[in-house]
Amino acid sequence: MEFEYWFAAVQNVSDQKKILLKNEIPSAREIYYIEEKEFHRFSFLTDAEISSILKSKEAWNLGVKLQELKKQKIRLVLFDSEEYPEKLKTIYHPPYALYVKGNLPSKDVPSIAIVGARKCTPYGEKCAMEFASSLSKCGAEIISGLASGIDGMSQRAAVNEDARTFAVLGSGVDVCYPRNHIGLYMDILEHEGGIISEQLPGTKPFGWNFPMRNRIISGLSDAVLVIEAKEKSGSLITADLAMDQGKEVYVLPGPVTSAYSQGCNRLIKQGAGILLTPEELMEDLKISSQISLRDFTKNRDEKEIRLERTEKLVYSCLDFHSKNIDTLAKEANIPALAVMNHLISLELKGLVKEISKNNYVKI
Amino acid sequence: MVSTVLSATMDGLKVEFVRVEADVSNGLPLLHMVGYLSAEVKDAGERVRTAIGNTGIRIPPKRIIINLSPATVKKRGASFDLPIAAAILTALGVIGEDALKDILLIGELNLEGKVLKVPGILPIVMEAQKKGCQTCMIPSENEMEGQVVQGINIIGVKHLQDVLDYVSHPAEFQKQHRGIHRAVRIKYGKEKQLDFCDIQGQEMLKRAVEVAVAGQHNLLLVGTPGSSKTMIAKRVPSILPPLTEEERIEISKIYSIMGLLKEDEPLVSTRPFRELHHTVTKTALVGGGMIPRPGEISLAHCGVLMMDELAEYPKNVLEVLRQPLEEHEIQIVRVRGAYVFPAEFFLVAAMNPCPCGYYPDMEKCRCTKSEVDHYLGKISQPFLSRIDICVEAPRVAYQDLKEQKTCDSSAAIRERVCAARNIQKARYQGKAFTTNSRIPESDIQTFCRLDEEGEKMMKLAYEKMNLTARTYYKVLRVARTIADLEGKTQIRCIHLSEALSYREMNHKYWES
Repeated sequence: MEFEYWFAAVQNVSDQKKILLKNEIPSAREIYYIEEKEFHRFSFLTDAEISSILKSKEAWNLGVKLQELKKQKIRLVLFDSEEYPEKLKTIYHPPYALYVKGNLPSKDVPSIAIVGARKCTPYGEKCAMEFASSLSKCGAEIISGLASGIDGMSQRAAVNEDARTFAVLGSGVDVCYPRNHIGLYMDILEHEGGIISEQLPGTKPFGWNFPMRNRIISGLSDAVLVIEAKEKSGSLITADLAMDQGKEVYVLPGPVTSAYSQGCNRLIKQGAGILLTPEELMEDLKISSQISLRDFTKNRDEKEIRLERTEKLVYSCLDFHSKNIDTLAKEANIPALAVMNHLISLELKGLVKEISKNNYVKI
Repeated sequence: MVSTVLSATMDGLKVEFVRVEADVSNGLPLLHMVGYLSAEVKDAGERVRTAIGNTGIRIPPKRIIINLSPATVKKRGASFDLPIAAAILTALGVIGEDALKDILLIGELNLEGKVLKVPGILPIVMEAQKKGCQTCMIPSENEMEGQVVQGINIIGVKHLQDVLDYVSHPAEFQKQHRGIHRAVRIKYGKEKQLDFCDIQGQEMLKRAVEVAVAGQHNLLLVGTPGSSKTMIAKRVPSILPPLTEEERIEISKIYSIMGLLKEDEPLVSTRPFRELHHTVTKTALVGGGMIPRPGEISLAHCGVLMMDELAEYPKNVLEVLRQPLEEHEIQIVRVRGAYVFPAEFFLVAAMNPCPCGYYPDMEKCRCTKSEVDHYLGKISQPFLSRIDICVEAPRVAYQDLKEQKTCDSSAAIRERVCAARNIQKARYQGKAFTTNSRIPESDIQTFCRLDEEGEKMMKLAYEKMNLTARTYYKVLRVARTIADLEGKTQIRCIHLSEALSYREMNHKYWES
């Protein structure tokens, strides 16, 4: 195994060439020990690549490196191993090696990627959580990138449902980025999910690695949901890759005036599926949903929570976009002080939340 | 021959009496000064000698030694010029031996012999009166300030010559110079104050300010740029209750030491309003220096300390405010002892919700989430938890600007504030505090009792809103004030829910 790890860690040799070489010489130990001139047999290897293979042996202490990997409980899953996800093998440029903490997505359960902007609106946040928790409830596995915003929100929702979720990182698997998601990172592992990366453990979150990891997100999943994306967004790369890989892409529509939904709406124009309700999504994805899912386009069941008349009025003025007390007072045409009182009581009932001082959104 | 004259200096806010001794003897002619003097006091020698000369008195070529005792107190400032001159003249026999007995002298001289004004007159004269001193001789520019103190004879002098005139014919001198009457008129509203009725709309904000002032709760305004945060803050002094006599004296003492008293206004008549800039240093804020001087928070004593752009302040500057916000005084410890300055101020702070100022309006806000987090994170939770009322300053709608609605004037608001303050004063009779924001935790249950419904609501809120023990007490204190404004003895749900909506911002993005 120590030889396999070394070969997986060789820099400047692309994944495909590693796969090709491995086809010729099935054992990494042999590759480690063959003479330099023997490499020239393989016409696909350039001189530079050969020298980097040879050079990489110098700084690499086989035993120690493998020990480190084991100590951190990181597993190395190679392209030719049995465990390697079938779905990933068929994509363009599959990664030669995956570093995994925890588990890999199961083969017999649908896995759905939810991606979106790091900076999102409360509307996007809300929908991401809603879809993620519905999918989790129905047994699907959520795949995303652990980023702040939509990614984190949907994975948090999955964890809250006690479901398995998988995070594909652009950094090494042992590097949690963003750092404040360390709690989520731990929770994912605790709930038998997994952290996956093709980068060597310890790799910092370099910007150029992120578009690459998006192909793994889409590759691992059966369908990709894009929640909120601006005109130029990394999520659109994921969506494009998914379409290239022949995966279903579903998009959450947004107002045409919102910069945060521009990318999504454009995808819809190009023919992507539209996310309306979790139920319809399950139908499309052929996931049987035993449980009834909440249709969040409607207000919470009003019989369930009794609201008094003006309280209802204030509640109906609220939206998934934040509104401040002054605006609400004007819309409902009641004094600000009264709005304040109603908002607090709605907040205590768990129907609204304050996202910035005196700015409220519906939950 | 040795002569002694009484003077005084300030050590922090404490008055130290100093005896100025002069000895004239035969020997090589020189003027030497001893007694733990700072550089500016040592300079006095040359100044005094020239001033005496220019008054027309010849100093004989003798050996003159000046001693300022006690030698353990560091002497600073230029206020020893006059007593030194008087001591020399007494030692020379120009002034009679007993003429300046029991008279406290203080003042700076210039080369012509004119007496110039000095800071710290008010506390010194007050202390002198307590000590049983009969007469104080002070610069005539400071005379009004000295006259504030009852039961002591104040002589204002313009020139060194006046001292000589006084000692030769005290009664006559006083008759001639009785220009200033003892009665110092209280002048309120002399300057035109800004008024709340200038602000259109922003009813919620005004209400929050009213509650804050009524209970002396520290206030934080959060809002987009141009939403009249600063305008509102500037009008806070106009609704503060008028100063009491003790407060005026207390503030005036500090202002006197800092040399900030106006000549025609010997007692501060309006509550201080100190507006800070975020480049302020720690020392300037809380006070300090080798011999500590009061800082901005002490200058805002009994008044308003306004901190605009709160997030721009360096972290260490904000953190030093934590103790004074809790204790309402600041203790500065130096090798030679601890100095305590009062700091019973009312904090009004303002800040934007994010670096660009538009969060949570996602269409306008250009900041990333981490930028917003970082910005809000600049203000530490312990600091935030010392602010009782946090409120948003929303953008002013055009309609509000155009509509000339009649809104409450400052006078009307002040009336309500005063009524609420009176209720509090009556309730807390015999206690160490007078306002709701100062109720200690141990007394909360006595004064801020909730009814059954309120109790239920508070319990729910405590769990749902993740309140801490400190916020719990804070909410109760604010609810007490809101009930007081309505004149209710019982805190009801409606008061509680308003108080809850004034609680501090929570950093919601600190996920996990």
